Amino acid sequence: MNPSKESIGNNEGPTRRFNFNTVFGLVFFFLSVVLFFIIPDQIEKPLFVLDENENALEPSLFPRLVAAGFGGLGLWLVFISFSIREENKLRNLDRQAIANVLVTLLVMALYTPLLMQVGFVVASALVIAALSTFFGNKSYGVTAVVSIAVPISIFFVFTKFLATYLPPFPIDTPLTRLYIL
Amino acid sequence: MWESFLLGAEMAMRWDTFAIMSVGLLLGMFVGALPGFTTVMAMAILLPLSFFLEPLIGIPFLLGVYKGGIYGGSIPAILVAMPGTGAAVATTFDGPALTKKGKARKALEMALYSSVFGDLSSDIVTIMFIGPIALVALKIGPPELMAILFLALIVISATSSGVFVKGLLMMVVGLFFGMVGQDPIGALSRFTFDIFAFRAGIPLLPMLIGVYALPEILNAIENKATDMIRQTINSREGGALTFQEFRSCFRTICRSTVIGTVIGMIPGIGQVVAAFMGYAAAKNASKTPEEFGKGKLEGVAAAEAANNAVNGPTMVPLLTLGIPGDNITVILIGAFIAQGLRPGPQLMAEQGPLVFAILVAMVCANVLFLIIGYFAIPLFAKVVSIRKSILLPLTVVFAFAGSYVPRSDPFDLFVLVGFGAFGYIAKKLKFDVTPMVMAFILGTELEYSFGQTLILAQGNLAHYIFFERPITAAIVLGTPLITYLLWRRSSRLRREVAAKLSDENSS
Repeated sequence: MNPSKESIGNNEGPTRRFNFNTVFGLVFFFLSVVLFFIIPDQIEKPLFVLDENENALEPSLFPRLVAAGFGGLGLWLVFISFSIREENKLRNLDRQAIANVLVTLLVMALYTPLLMQVGFVVASALVIAALSTFFGNKSYGVTAVVSIAVPISIFFVFTKFLATYLPPFPIDTPLTRLYIL
Repeated sequence: MWESFLLGAEMAMRWDTFAIMSVGLLLGMFVGALPGFTTVMAMAILLPLSFFLEPLIGIPFLLGVYKGGIYGGSIPAILVAMPGTGAAVATTFDGPALTKKGKARKALEMALYSSVFGDLSSDIVTIMFIGPIALVALKIGPPELMAILFLALIVISATSSGVFVKGLLMMVVGLFFGMVGQDPIGALSRFTFDIFAFRAGIPLLPMLIGVYALPEILNAIENKATDMIRQTINSREGGALTFQEFRSCFRTICRSTVIGTVIGMIPGIGQVVAAFMGYAAAKNASKTPEEFGKGKLEGVAAAEAANNAVNGPTMVPLLTLGIPGDNITVILIGAFIAQGLRPGPQLMAEQGPLVFAILVAMVCANVLFLIIGYFAIPLFAKVVSIRKSILLPLTVVFAFAGSYVPRSDPFDLFVLVGFGAFGYIAKKLKFDVTPMVMAFILGTELEYSFGQTLILAQGNLAHYIFFERPITAAIVLGTPLITYLLWRRSSRLRREVAAKLSDENSS
């Protein structure tokens, strides 16, 4: 039976003295220190002040509270990390799973410049074909049909029906001139 | 308030609203029937469509997806013991056993009728309660709003999955992300790191789609996109559900509806817990509890009525206070904001008829739900065996299209992928993203009302809150106690759910 998609309960896996929660607690604490240092530089100063209200909220107060939150909660996580038992599911991934995820992320990252260069329909067709084949689909005919039909349908829905903009199909302009699309 | 309701009811009676809700219901059921795809994911991906439709079409569309998705998860739960959504886990206790007995059709129809009944009843309760709560909400000023927002963020962190402090940390991460861009009071740039694209802040929609939809895709492809189901499924097996069979479960359905309605009004609990509580209550009240788990129609009815009864009341804190209670209402608040409507105390006063129109549309959606569900069951039964190797890439393309169209900015797509990776890693390391997203959305409002409170307090914040704003003082003092009680209850319920699941796995 498929387990619930809501993550339920914790306390799974063996106890480790120094575990990933400890690492992240330290990371958040370190982030807190960094934030306190960079806050003065990262908040724009007004060009001039007309009537300064001494009771008004300074732009840096909320960031300082957030930085303090990182620090305090980071230390809290470090403290309790030695007693909570949670499984690091990243560590349990095998090489194949990691490769699958990284390849997919890489394709997604390349999708953006491809989309801007060759248009939504062509870029999407290439991405669908590539990912579908990578995911194990061997029905190339179905892949070809879906790779062409679905991006064109999405393009039509967004640009013609919802009147929004997607980087055009390379021959969109001549086709619209011919009143085909 | 009554006049607003009547005007809203009149506004809702539009054929295009009903048509788009039907489309939403179909899409929701489709996604809900797919194991591995969640309702949240569907709503995140379809959210951009609602941006370009008027409020009375776009928001009912998303509500249709929501309702359809919660019910759709019961179809594979009953047919192949695989819940399509988390809310349908309790349905797997009796559903598959009924299928094995040749009563698949009865089980599916019982799930449909109890879902519709639970959903419809709770929607009516929502309409009855929302007016009075909105009137109280109008008396809230900046100090009260600040305290309520802070309480809501803490409560969501306490009731999120995983360790409490990790929920709080994700909340703080969300507050930090919300600070990127311009501060809400002086409009001064903060944390842009001299990157021009950050001056307008981090865009909400790519973040939502990134953290809710892409991690599901990445999870699914860890083992390549193998087909989940290979067996043939006959959803029409066995006779139709009889009126006597439905009537025999009616008391259970009513009990579960009450449970789901109450749980729906409390932020952070959700459909999964409601379904389990409804099932447990039915079993405890039954004269033959030993039959539960072996193919009892009452078991399916109890779980489905409870989980669907949560749908309507989750809108109460969202619409009256602007506080989303779970990850689904977080997406809905994104839809409202995109339409220029800011949920909160002022919304009912300024746009009362529109709010009631949306709620009336939600009630009418249940009628469509019944009709579409009845005829679409055989179709969605086939959906469970659709090839994921084709569906996942299509989902990626749709996610990219939806993220790009609001601003036509390629930067949004990098935000999408970045938050997709972030959400995937967070999920693996048991950091719940919902507190982060809620804090991102509510952080600006929190900071703004904090600033207003400081000005009103004229330098003496403690005196102002504890002597001049008693409601704020009560909320501030009550926050630790409420948080502790909810955290304890939520932890206990999750342990019970986990114990129940491991009992079912071992049997």
